[in-house]
Amino acid sequence: MTSSRSFLSAVVLALAAFAAAGCGDSDDGGAEAGNSGGSMTIAQTSQPDALDPALAYTSQSWEPLWVVYTPPLTYRHAEGQEGTELIPGVAEALPEISDDGKTYSFKIREGLKYSNGKPVKASDFEHTIKRVLNLESGGTYLFEGIEGATDFIEGGDPKADITGIEADDATGEVTITLTEPDGTFSNVLATNFAGMVPASTPFENQSTKPPPGVGPYEITESVPNRQFTLSQVEGFDIPDVPKGKVDTITTRIVKSTSRQAQDVIGGKLDYMQDPPPTDLLAEIKASHSDRYKEWPTPSTYYFFLNQSIPPFDNEQAREAVNVAIDSTAIARIFGGRLKPSCNVIPSGIPGHEDPDPCPFGDPSAAGDVDEAKRLVEEAGVGGEKVTVYANNDSNRPQIGEYYTDLLNQIGFDADLKIIDGAIYFNTIGNEKTKAQTGLAAWYPDFAHPGSFLQQFDGTAIQPTNNSNYGYVNDPEINKGIADLLKEPDVATVADQWAELDRKAIEKSYLAPYGSEELTTFMSDRVDFDNCSLVHPLYGNDYTSFCLK
Amino acid sequence: MALAFGALFVALVLCALAAPLWADLAGRGPEATNVTGKIEVDGRQVDVVSLDGTPIGPQWRSEYFLGADANGRDVMVRLLYGARNSLLIGIAAALLTTILATLVGLLAGYLGRWVDAVARSALDVIWAFPVILLGVALATALAVGGLQIGPFTLEAGSTAISIAVIAVVYVPYMARPIRGEVLALREKEFVEAARAQGAGPLRTMLSELLPNLSSTIVVFAPLMVANAILLEAALSFLGVGVVPPAPSWGNMIDAGVERLVTAPHLAIVPGAMLVATVLALNVLGDGVRDAFDPRSRASWGARRP
Repeated sequence: MTSSRSFLSAVVLALAAFAAAGCGDSDDGGAEAGNSGGSMTIAQTSQPDALDPALAYTSQSWEPLWVVYTPPLTYRHAEGQEGTELIPGVAEALPEISDDGKTYSFKIREGLKYSNGKPVKASDFEHTIKRVLNLESGGTYLFEGIEGATDFIEGGDPKADITGIEADDATGEVTITLTEPDGTFSNVLATNFAGMVPASTPFENQSTKPPPGVGPYEITESVPNRQFTLSQVEGFDIPDVPKGKVDTITTRIVKSTSRQAQDVIGGKLDYMQDPPPTDLLAEIKASHSDRYKEWPTPSTYYFFLNQSIPPFDNEQAREAVNVAIDSTAIARIFGGRLKPSCNVIPSGIPGHEDPDPCPFGDPSAAGDVDEAKRLVEEAGVGGEKVTVYANNDSNRPQIGEYYTDLLNQIGFDADLKIIDGAIYFNTIGNEKTKAQTGLAAWYPDFAHPGSFLQQFDGTAIQPTNNSNYGYVNDPEINKGIADLLKEPDVATVADQWAELDRKAIEKSYLAPYGSEELTTFMSDRVDFDNCSLVHPLYGNDYTSFCLK
Repeated sequence: MALAFGALFVALVLCALAAPLWADLAGRGPEATNVTGKIEVDGRQVDVVSLDGTPIGPQWRSEYFLGADANGRDVMVRLLYGARNSLLIGIAAALLTTILATLVGLLAGYLGRWVDAVARSALDVIWAFPVILLGVALATALAVGGLQIGPFTLEAGSTAISIAVIAVVYVPYMARPIRGEVLALREKEFVEAARAQGAGPLRTMLSELLPNLSSTIVVFAPLMVANAILLEAALSFLGVGVVPPAPSWGNMIDAGVERLVTAPHLAIVPGAMLVATVLALNVLGDGVRDAFDPRSRASWGARRP
């Protein structure tokens, strides 16, 4: 997610390494341990991009929405590799897949109800997907492979049918037909976008009045830019999906991470989603280590380079940026919570290979500014105006300032535009913005290399909510992605994914600089040892939260 | 007292003007980052920004005199360049406010009728909003597309946008008293006499009324500069004033707040500069008022033991 997401297959052997590296073992924060009841107040730095499952596409929104809108399939609430296992959610069982890989069938669980008490119907699934497509959600590309989805989008009529989805309310059966086999489609059915909502949900952003869902929690209050509240749903019962322990979880939007950290230390807040500021990290690690932990993420942090407009339509100009970047400098701005790398596919995801050497120099060494200057001059783009986009979340403005100065050093005339975190990705993902370059990050929708490389798929570019911020449109990469996605066993084609990754970085379609380590920091009220489960895809699992 | 603080203000202005000289001494400009750089301290090479992101503190020498910020930039250099931005915006905005307020006050007060009604309504609308709220709203609205008025274009994110926003927001605070004074002056005999001699409205306003408003304008000017500098700092602190990486005291305080524990000087130093400047201008303004208003001075003197 933006800090974007992408998706998965059940094949996640490489995640074992990632899990071993830092997610802790699954006994930590087991979902069933700890007391029940009580209320927690937690904090996020920015208003989530949306509190509507059709539109939400950032870490800030996916973390809370995962426990509100259960899709047909979902992930086991566990840490590490175990957490990437697909389990039935709203569906009774994992889907039956036809031999040609094009047809997926599943049945909705009998007697399942939304948080408002209304029964869940099979036809609600088609409505859920229609909303994603009709609202031009960032997740549209995930469902474009369904037969008739493209016609539905182009027709623009929400009442039209998606021919590839058949739903029978009487039996609860849903059949989905794809135009091509898609090895990741089971994981697509487990994304938040497929989180079921009733067929009466309007075709507009429902963030201020989130629709009912099927989950251990429901959103009972939503005041934009101030707070939203999750309340436990009585009677929720899906096997292997925890019911949650705390009665209510109120998320406040608190701009300053420093204030958040102070409030967590003082017990006014029980958890902060963002990492504590660098300023307080030393104190937290020294005095509150019993309720603080860091964990690696399968994420890619990078500067997008828009190749549809000057100056980054010039390959040499893009190369200059890659040559100049000093990942170790950015790591310091992150307070040491960044592991420098030069890949699109991060460590822990199948297809990750450490290029040896990286095409533009060792990411753990300083960049070559002089060589970058030469490249800019040679490309004839010296002095060109460049606007750098950054959001105002913690440490992002500092990274934006570093990057702006770097571009000026190598010969561009760069200035910085800082945009509120709540609208940042919508802004740079709107083609009218014509954002030349800026900060981006990608967290997987699922642990699959396609989840990372699909953001550079030219066929997925859309006018709004676009996740291909660099407007990368390389026929070879597009075809490579399309072909590899058909392969159900990702392990057999991991080296081909790695080859695509290498191609993307060699052509400087982006300027990657590393993977972030995230944190869990909780108040003294929380039973940290038993109730702080970190899911590899969704982050901190709210159903594990409990008070002492 | 007023003279002393006036001198302090002049000194601050001179320091701001000398910013490039200090930057030469320090060896780096206000926006030059140096995150992975090292400097020599007591014969040892020390990181300007440590591996965990903590910037180095004051070194009390030309290089990093007041230490570094999170991007390894020299705080003293940024402070002086920030002074240039803050003072430039403050003085220019106050000047623009003065021109607009005088114009509106003169026209509304002297011409009366519908001109007065329209002007008063417009001033009331602006007056109705809290200064910071209106400033933030206008600055945010203009942050993306900028502003085009006839042949004049104010680019989004430029200093001119901040100047225009601050100037407009403060117009009622100066225009209303000026209008009140014009209402009183226009009934005076010397204005009647000018009219009787055939002077038109424009000539009457420029030759008879404007000179008599000069004391009011001069008294307001330093206070307007102080208010404008404060508002600029507030807007920059909130992220809608001077756009980083360009420094201003407001955005330096904003960045410094995130480092209050490990590097408190990052917020305290620009904050102290802001306090000193605004205090100097306020005391100077009081002095100017006393000079133009003997009754005020007499009453101040009478209170003294």
